[in-house]
Amino acid sequence: MTATDPVVDRLAAAAPLHALLTPTAEVRSALAAQAAAAPPSGPLAGMPVVVKDNICTLEYTTTCGSRILEGYRSPFEATAITRLKAAGALIAGKTNCDEFAMGSSTEHSAYGRSFHPIDRERVPGGSSGGSAALVGAGAVPAALGSETGGSVRQPAAFCGVVGIKPTYGRVSRYGLVAFGSSLDQIGVFGRTVSDAGRVLAAISGRDPLDATCEDRDPLPLPAVPENLQGFVIGIPKEYFPSDLDPGVRRACDRTIRLLKDLGAAVRDVSLPHTPYAIPTYYIIAPAEASSNLARYDGVRYGPRPAGAVDVRALYRATRGHGFGAEVRRRVLIGTYVLSAGYYDAYYRRAQRMRSLIAQDFRNVFDRGVDLLFTPSTPTPPFKAGEKLGDPVAMYLADIFTVTANLAGLPALTLPIGRVQGLPVGGQLIGPAFLEDEMLEAAFTLERSVEPEAEA
Amino acid sequence: MSISREEVEKIARLAELQVDEAALPGLVDQLSRILEYVAQIAALAATESAQPFHPGPAAIRFRPDEVRPAPLAFGPERMAPAFRDGFFLVPRLGAFEAGRDDAAEEDA
Repeated sequence: MTATDPVVDRLAAAAPLHALLTPTAEVRSALAAQAAAAPPSGPLAGMPVVVKDNICTLEYTTTCGSRILEGYRSPFEATAITRLKAAGALIAGKTNCDEFAMGSSTEHSAYGRSFHPIDRERVPGGSSGGSAALVGAGAVPAALGSETGGSVRQPAAFCGVVGIKPTYGRVSRYGLVAFGSSLDQIGVFGRTVSDAGRVLAAISGRDPLDATCEDRDPLPLPAVPENLQGFVIGIPKEYFPSDLDPGVRRACDRTIRLLKDLGAAVRDVSLPHTPYAIPTYYIIAPAEASSNLARYDGVRYGPRPAGAVDVRALYRATRGHGFGAEVRRRVLIGTYVLSAGYYDAYYRRAQRMRSLIAQDFRNVFDRGVDLLFTPSTPTPPFKAGEKLGDPVAMYLADIFTVTANLAGLPALTLPIGRVQGLPVGGQLIGPAFLEDEMLEAAFTLERSVEPEAEA
Repeated sequence: MSISREEVEKIARLAELQVDEAALPGLVDQLSRILEYVAQIAALAATESAQPFHPGPAAIRFRPDEVRPAPLAFGPERMAPAFRDGFFLVPRLGAFEAGRDDAAEEDA
């Protein structure tokens, strides 16, 4: 029996969720090696953290949930991983995700779907569904995921855990496999705001290896305030549409009353361009993906199908065999919206719409609002297979999360109640680089909210 | 805004993506559905002349221009499907050579 055996046992017990891609025997030996090399103290000493399989690690393969990277071992590790280890954390394996982080249910993994920790008929959300499911099942206290349009917050809300998407530029993306480079950020999951915040603090800060990472010190963790007096919290009406799930609405209404009871001033606000966020995202993200994923061609890494007669046939066969259905759709949409004759109608217009969406947030924050409160998802966790037939229905699962990605803002989800036993998340969105204020409010709210109570 | 089968075949060639004949009709339907949905942004009034949005630092920071070792745990020979004498091996260039079929076709 070694110090790391209990976490391996918990991960083995969670095997039916199909959330971890690394075999537990491999986790066991990797953890023993890391524990021997780890600093004896540190803010995260001994904390096991699982990592989404699109973040490069030296200990484990990095497949991005794709056949095109089957068996791939990175020759370097992500800055976030190096920092976790320096803080004393132990990397406890790689988690399942939608292929190249494209999806909202973890059903688009080439290695099979992951299961919701409470109801196996349902999805854990996505794309970082494996990380969310393992934290939700209590196998690990924290996990890393990545966000391009909500891939940490949406599964965190579904699995009843805390999920944080930091400001674009807060955390180095060195070693995060690129999907949409103007949107991608590494995010964190935690059982509590404290666990998630501590991990975020450890991985944040300047990095000369990532030119998009801001030249800032690591995030300082705030003290927990007594109450929310002095906070002005905006409730954007566009996030409470008439077809919002009634259970989600009840949980949010209850939380808004709680925010007032805690002393916050609650104000109705409007973010008028919100309805265009998903269409804007599904032009910009595929455009960037089609460009980023051009590197997977069967030449430098990954498996290569045999028998290609020339190099172009090699590219086409490698990509045709290696990419799954959703990645193929996005590569094709991205290529289309960037092609001659369509660039102005789609891509340029989407870039302008993105500006207007970002301006909506600035207008609200400039008028004295400190934070916004919204539902994290429009529904509780949905059933597996329910949205696979219609890509647009799947895209709409991110309708309340994608705006913070488009505007580059920090946002957080925490559990605020249950609907028929299934978790519901509430979201806080803050101004850029004010994660500390967002965490203060989350700490206070977490102390009073009843996450297990039916809404 | 729907997309035709011929357009899907064309963008698949541009994206260097082999698409099975049998999968094409379904793909045409799905891509049309997505493009019809995202076409909502056409509602953006011509008078709203917002500048494109760029997240991240306002200016690119440069590192000193000095040669430093690449911090890799191992070299490309461990990753590449085919590698010899410091080179990645690929089949003949074929379609990229002058006069070949679809290279010329896409230039047209």
